[in-house]
Amino acid sequence: MVDATVAVAATDLASIQASQMGMKAIGAGLAVGLTGVGTGVAEMGIGAAAVGAIAENKDFFGLGLLFTVIPETIVIFGLVVGLLLLF
Amino acid sequence: MLKPKQMSRILIAASRDQMGPVIAELYHHHLFHIEEFVEAGAEGYEGFRIGTPLSGASEASGDLLKIRAIENAIAIRGDDMEPTARSSRSALRTQIERDLPGLEREVEELTQKRSKLEIRSKESEQKIAEITPFLSVPAELELFRDYAGFTVYAGYVTGDVILSVPCELFFSKGREKNFIVAVVPSGQRSEAERALQAAAFQAVPVPDETGAPQARIDYYTGQIADLAQQIAGINGKLEAVKQQHTGFLVACEEFLKAEVEKTEAPLRFATTRQTFVAEGWIPTDKVDEVSASLVKATGGRIFVTVVPIDLEHDAVPVEYNNPKFAQPAQMLMDVYSRPRYTEVDPTLMLAIVFPIFFGMILGDVGYGLILLVMCFGLRKFIKGEEGVQFLTVLRNASISSIIFGLLFSEFLGFELPWSPIIFSRHLLIGGGAEGGAGPAIPALMIMSIWIGILHITLGRVLGMYNHAQQDHGEHRIKAVMANFGWLAVMWGLVIGIWSNVAMPYMPNLTGLPAVAAALNAGTISGAVLILVGVGCIARDSILEVVELPTIISHVLSYARLVAVGLSSVAIAMVVNYMSIGMFISPGLKSLSIVGIVMILVGIVIFLLGHALNTALGILGGGLHSIRLHYVEFFTKFYKGGGKRYVPFGMKRRFTEE
Repeated sequence: MVDATVAVAATDLASIQASQMGMKAIGAGLAVGLTGVGTGVAEMGIGAAAVGAIAENKDFFGLGLLFTVIPETIVIFGLVVGLLLLF
Repeated sequence: MLKPKQMSRILIAASRDQMGPVIAELYHHHLFHIEEFVEAGAEGYEGFRIGTPLSGASEASGDLLKIRAIENAIAIRGDDMEPTARSSRSALRTQIERDLPGLEREVEELTQKRSKLEIRSKESEQKIAEITPFLSVPAELELFRDYAGFTVYAGYVTGDVILSVPCELFFSKGREKNFIVAVVPSGQRSEAERALQAAAFQAVPVPDETGAPQARIDYYTGQIADLAQQIAGINGKLEAVKQQHTGFLVACEEFLKAEVEKTEAPLRFATTRQTFVAEGWIPTDKVDEVSASLVKATGGRIFVTVVPIDLEHDAVPVEYNNPKFAQPAQMLMDVYSRPRYTEVDPTLMLAIVFPIFFGMILGDVGYGLILLVMCFGLRKFIKGEEGVQFLTVLRNASISSIIFGLLFSEFLGFELPWSPIIFSRHLLIGGGAEGGAGPAIPALMIMSIWIGILHITLGRVLGMYNHAQQDHGEHRIKAVMANFGWLAVMWGLVIGIWSNVAMPYMPNLTGLPAVAAALNAGTISGAVLILVGVGCIARDSILEVVELPTIISHVLSYARLVAVGLSSVAIAMVVNYMSIGMFISPGLKSLSIVGIVMILVGIVIFLLGHALNTALGILGGGLHSIRLHYVEFFTKFYKGGGKRYVPFGMKRRFTEE
């Protein structure tokens, strides 16, 4: 009787651990995915405006690129969080 | 190094008859950046006017236009060519007089003829398009027009159409819309038109042709083929012209461009009836050489002097002054903005750190080799100065990725025969995934944070130096202190964290003795640093305090060195697992037809996947490394916006001096 309980508890523990790992993976995925969407939304307007400005004056390219990639930090944060969750 | 080339402002004055020799001498030296004379409101230049071009200016520019028109017509660009033999000026001059008019006529005739033929070919295509709808109607084309008592309707309808008037109707079903031809007595036109309108009728013009539609289309197709042949003949002739005269044309263009620039130079000088004055910039170490040769060329009838520079108001042209290995990185600087004359030129730091960042991100022997081969391959096609600089930057970056690949022990995502020398980036993907040690994520992260802290500290120190150089009075101290304040806040935070959390690869200050209320010495000194820093920042500009969180975000931003790199490793390993683990090794086990197909599919996946990852590697490695410079590093100290140094003269490639 006791043996059976221990065995059931052990299997329960294993499945709980496995599902926790899965939850972590879901969390990491959400972190990267949602921040990616956020970066995309932010870069949409900036990128369009930057391309317009570059069309008017080519010298703006460097500065335009700079402005466009500023929101990229958000997705990098997401990636950092994702990696910290997984490892 | 770290500073642009030192410039001197030069003033040249001489009598007008010396203008020719002076211009020729300045052009020859290719060092004098002309400060253009503007008539309105030039101080100390009352009574001066803009000069008039030397003789021969309009002829030279006319000839230059002709040459450029010819070059356009036969698609030659001097920039794309390797200079071979250099032509002498006298030979070119006689050749221009002798050959240019004939050549111009020949090319013009050929291009005109070609455009006429092209128009005719277009017309024939138009005819075919007009006839095509009538292909489905079994009638000669002349039957569709020239009736006295009948009206012909030809066109498309969307659905079916029923005409209540007596008529002859032909209906052909198409895929999207149906083609109809209806012949209606002219008396009942209005009724028929109403019915057609109800079926959304779109009229098609009846072609002005006779005979069967198919025969006419064949006729026009034949004509188009004929015209295409004639056009090809003309293109062949133009190609022959190109082969024969390319050398002459590019040499001519260069020669005439030099002539035009020289003869039009007086337009940038200040002149009176008898004299002229030219102001401009020369690198300080060349001043003696240039003025001596000017004196010699004019037999001493010239006045050359160095004018003191007013750094506040003069826009001093900026020429880079870098060691040879750092020069390609100037291209990356120009993309952002050229440094100002008074500020630190960070090209050298960019030239060293950019390849290191690139290598850290890509860090793979295989991809590094692919990029290196690509660089040498592209060298054959890319000729312009900027292109070559770009390729050199890419070459350095790929060499750095090979070195980091050896350290990370990576080859196209596979492990090299040794274990990683610095940190492992191998992920647990594919077969044997459970056994491996996995990537050293915390160590890698802390390495990137360290790089961030050091890079930003360097930027802030340079910022302090720049403000000390550029600003004046009270603002100068405030600006320098503000930069110090940013540094103090950052280091205060770092020390505060060290004092409370023990981390690998970072100093551990948790063991320091507690001073007050369980706070140890480290925490307190960190807090003091932060407070002092915030005070310094607020003294310069209170609004800047809002920006304090950027300290954290900018340092963490360096995590991309690890994050982007890991994603590229992940893609490589997934590609390897998919191609080899899922297709090639099961295929090798059973060498039947299915097995061979599986091996082929695996190879295709392998090639496509790694090609994609190479492209992503260039984009990721390049863009992110340059972004770390532009956004995180340059914003700390660099303003840019310097004026480019464009010396009067040219680098001759096809002609002699």
